[in-house]
Amino acid sequence: MEQQIADLTAKLAALEASTKMSGTINSEVFYWWCIALMIVIHAGFLAYEMGASRAKNVLASGIKNILAFAFIVPTFFFFGWWIYLAFPAGLTVADAAADGLPWAQKMGPNLADNATGIFWGAFALFAATTASIMSGAVIERIRMTGFIILAIFLGSVVWILGASWGWHPTGWLTTEFGFHDVGAAGCVHLIAGAFALGVLINLGPRIGKFNADGTANEIGGHNMPMTVIGLMLIIVGFFGFLGGCIIYVNGGQWTNIYGQPTTLSAFAFNTLMGFCGGLIGAWVKTRDPFWMMSGGLVGIISAAAGLDVWYPPFAFAIGFFGAFMAPIVAKMVEKAGIDDAVAAVAVHGWGGLWGVVACGLFAAGYPNINDMPPVSLTGQLVGAGVFLALGFGSGFILSLVLKMFGLLRVPPNSEILGLDKTKVPLAAYPEGLRAMPAE
Amino acid sequence: MNTSPITKWDGATAYFTFADNPTVVLGLLALSAVIVVGSIIFGAFHEKECYVKVENGKH
Repeated sequence: MEQQIADLTAKLAALEASTKMSGTINSEVFYWWCIALMIVIHAGFLAYEMGASRAKNVLASGIKNILAFAFIVPTFFFFGWWIYLAFPAGLTVADAAADGLPWAQKMGPNLADNATGIFWGAFALFAATTASIMSGAVIERIRMTGFIILAIFLGSVVWILGASWGWHPTGWLTTEFGFHDVGAAGCVHLIAGAFALGVLINLGPRIGKFNADGTANEIGGHNMPMTVIGLMLIIVGFFGFLGGCIIYVNGGQWTNIYGQPTTLSAFAFNTLMGFCGGLIGAWVKTRDPFWMMSGGLVGIISAAAGLDVWYPPFAFAIGFFGAFMAPIVAKMVEKAGIDDAVAAVAVHGWGGLWGVVACGLFAAGYPNINDMPPVSLTGQLVGAGVFLALGFGSGFILSLVLKMFGLLRVPPNSEILGLDKTKVPLAAYPEGLRAMPAE
Repeated sequence: MNTSPITKWDGATAYFTFADNPTVVLGLLALSAVIVVGSIIFGAFHEKECYVKVENGKH
């Protein structure tokens, strides 16, 4: 009898260990595929930017976008992950930051740690997304060197500092103000949109964008279908992005990044409803396929902060409003003399701002954990203000410095000739792009 | 070159190349940082050269 009990106890222990390890591996697998889907976001931005460029700049735009990815991943290894772990309290360095130093034992293959690499990977892809947001806005006239420096700074420093403050279980915006932004509308989209705005002011418009009287000309991209498909790829990738925003708890319910319980079902309801609200909102406003797909993106971003709590038709309405307003915001940006080639400020900056504020307006009172303050309009406004200032201020100052050193803008003759002919050893369309005859 | 920090898998934790040699780890980290910075500088020179060619009408 005693032997049987001992055998059963041993079997139970082995079963528990096996179940725990299965959960750990499931978690790794989940985030692995989130990373893969987030690379689809980058593929989408690549197609989007190249389609929005004129034929003379298409490859240069593609190279720029790919290099953002290439430089962000290593720099996010060097210091990005450390920044996230270091600064949840503000500007003092937390003890946990030691685990994010690039020479730490956790920052490489380690059989005692199944989490760090996969989370680092997911966050590195969030970083690449922020840089891609800025990348589209500045096409056809930014210097590659200046762009790479800006992309590294945005992707591996600025947004992740904001994430440490407001998208971290113990970030000060949450512990002090109950800030709630489960889908990273603020730290990714608002910061990237605001950063892009700061850069665009110093970069200036493309030659021919504005007339002497200040009126704007439309500079169409060379391939709108490519742009629209790119936007749809971004939407596909968003399911990886938002999947990466939820925490897999081994043996327990999912939580959001703040530790509040949630479900992936909640994310599915509200992502899809927000997306479709956005598609329709932009279609009603413009009937323009570019804006429809951008509107779908705005719809998801608008619903993102409260993705875990919205009643799905409410997410639909919030997405609709965000997307309906986005073309108006884009027009305001243009009227201010700013040439945002893909409306990144309106889509991401406005969408992120609206998403964060909407969460304060309509989701106030949702409780927090560990005696942290509940969701409130004040908390959301504080968070939005901090992200806006962080993104815009850093983008404006860094681009101003680059401008002073002549590293921001290509010379006018190269811009007129086209960046592909200037510096790319290939032709995008070697047989030429010819207009179809009228008849 | 023997780069393994372990001689058996039992009880192994960090097992990446040179995990037991912080000096080499820092050296490799510095090397990768130099590659990143050096590539940006190289790109800047290439870009400048291209712009100068356009300005001089050599395109």
